Amino acid sequence: MGRLSIRRLFDRRPSVTRRLGLRARITLAFAVGALLLSALLSATTWALTRENLLNQREDSAMVLVFQNARTVQNRVSPDTDQQALLSSLSTPQGANPILFYDDKYVPRTPEFGQDALPSELRDAVIAGRPSQMRYSLRGEMQLAVGLPIPSVDAAYFEIISLEELQSTLGALGVSLVGASLVTTLAGAALGWWASRRALRPLSGVSTAALALAAGRLDTRLEASEDPDLRPITASFNDMAQALQDRIEQDARFASDVSHELRSPLMTLAASIEVMNNQREDLPDRARAALDLMVADIDRFQQLVEDLLEISRFDAGVARLELEEVHLAELVMQAVSHSTDADVPIELDAALAGAVVHADKRRIVRVIANLLDNAGKYGAGASGVSLRRVDGGIQIAVEDAGDGVLEEDRAIIFDRFSRGALAGRRGSSDGVGLGLALVAEHVNLHGGRVWVEDRSDGAPGARFVVELPVEDHE
Amino acid sequence: MRQSGGVGTRILAVEDDERIRTAVKLALEDEGWAVTEAATGEDALLAFQQEPADVVLIDIMLPGIDGFEVCRSIRRGSDVPIVMVTARADTHDVVAGLEAGADDYLTKPFAPKELSARIRALLRRARTSEVSSPHLRFGDLEIVPEEGVVRRSGRDVHLTKTEFRVLVELAQSPGRVFSRELLLERIWGYGYFGDGRLVDVHVRRLRTKVEADPANPRHVVTVRGLGYKLRV
Repeated sequence: MGRLSIRRLFDRRPSVTRRLGLRARITLAFAVGALLLSALLSATTWALTRENLLNQREDSAMVLVFQNARTVQNRVSPDTDQQALLSSLSTPQGANPILFYDDKYVPRTPEFGQDALPSELRDAVIAGRPSQMRYSLRGEMQLAVGLPIPSVDAAYFEIISLEELQSTLGALGVSLVGASLVTTLAGAALGWWASRRALRPLSGVSTAALALAAGRLDTRLEASEDPDLRPITASFNDMAQALQDRIEQDARFASDVSHELRSPLMTLAASIEVMNNQREDLPDRARAALDLMVADIDRFQQLVEDLLEISRFDAGVARLELEEVHLAELVMQAVSHSTDADVPIELDAALAGAVVHADKRRIVRVIANLLDNAGKYGAGASGVSLRRVDGGIQIAVEDAGDGVLEEDRAIIFDRFSRGALAGRRGSSDGVGLGLALVAEHVNLHGGRVWVEDRSDGAPGARFVVELPVEDHE
Repeated sequence: MRQSGGVGTRILAVEDDERIRTAVKLALEDEGWAVTEAATGEDALLAFQQEPADVVLIDIMLPGIDGFEVCRSIRRGSDVPIVMVTARADTHDVVAGLEAGADDYLTKPFAPKELSARIRALLRRARTSEVSSPHLRFGDLEIVPEEGVVRRSGRDVHLTKTEFRVLVELAQSPGRVFSRELLLERIWGYGYFGDGRLVDVHVRRLRTKVEADPANPRHVVTVRGLGYKLRV
């Protein structure tokens, strides 16, 4: 339930953007924002500048055009050399005058003649309206101005190239686009930085959550100064506290129960033994019942002992009592005192005198539990071997049973996993904590344990305990 | 002093849980031993005063004065073997109990057979400590195994029976290194799986009595990683 509703909180976004990470999304948002803003500013700047420059250019051109028109008005007559008149006019570079007189268009330069003028402009001027217009001629931007000179029945036109202005505007446009791009990139960088800052507390949360998951239950987030982060920090820490309380409560419960069981168990064990001393005097039925009690009181005691042991792991109070241990001797002694004392032991010659730092009691329990397990589920242990491997020592117990199915190999070290494996490694015997304790003891030593097929190909399981050893002679 | 043979051996059992106490008493009586019960530390000290036992069994968790205190009080006037009963083997209780003067310990729940075996080992130790070789001398230390006497600089040193056994064991092969496992087997009858702390605490206690400076022992020395030896 809880998991569902929390997921839903994050499920509202459309799936495309959700595929991007939060950081990428924030960065993208900043970049798009910067792009839109800079594009708008650039476009406005460009348009205003363009308008301004054109107006200036037109204004200055108009002054000259009026001057020239006046000159034409004064000097034109049917006898005038019209070409000479046009040549005498002072025009800025790129300006081409055209004279309309006597129903004829006379250009100064042939390529800027009647056809070079837009017809609307011509018509308007001939009709007596002074006009000007911008247009494109042969790919270049031009300003055409026409002034009717009614007193002499003429008109004066000028085609002024705006190409220079155009290239200025082009250069401006390029630099504005460049500026926009830089702004966009800066926006993206800002977004990246801001998202990192904003997400930094989240990475703290993630580290803390990992630590909690790894079993360091006292992990807490540092109280945040930031009012926006404080609720997250507080609720995370509350959650961690609740989790710790709950887990410790569970661990304490198992421990308390086992402690409470000890006293009655003690009485039962002693009483059963007293009865067992008089076993021969009992009637058959009572004797049969007594035998059941004798058999099960041991199992019961073992279970309570194992529960206590495992509850110490859960409570995090299990500590190694390290001492220098002669490993080969330890294994041999553990085997000879186990339920299966005749198992052959194969010893790596390199380990004959090896001394390791280990918790003797725990290693003995590991070996005893593995042999026990082989006896109960593996038709008895067929061999114990001890060998040196890279960085550690391997203790392996092989049995002659049916082996362990691939899918059971991971769960076989779980507590009471006998239930899950029922029918496959079925037996009414055993308590199901033996292998779980093996794993706990080995982990406490920094080692690992696993089960595999027998190394010689015969049917059967091979339980391997690998303990790390620091190299020293 | 009472002769601690098989028959007529008297055991004082101090345990506040009545049912456990009764069951243990029944089991020990099946071994042929006489059992005196005490439910509190005060009762135990009183009973011990009236009639000293050959072995004392003390549960550490007692109402009133606790098991450690009972142990120390008995130790002040007697070298009687004491077995402590603790809740767990891997707590400080074990070391504290041994330091209070206990010779051995058991953790609950223990099998009565285990208890009988412990008691028999202690009784055997109490007997065998009186048969041994002649007079041994190491510097200022003088051991007379036959009389069960140890003198340092001419003065009698009072050792418990277990401490005495540890010293004699080491003294009979001076210079030889004894591993903890070997001492556990020879003295406690445990063999390889005994608790090494039994040896360590007893050696520590022994040193406070036979060494001039227990922090820098001259007689009973530690051989790192191997065990203990008596320096010649």
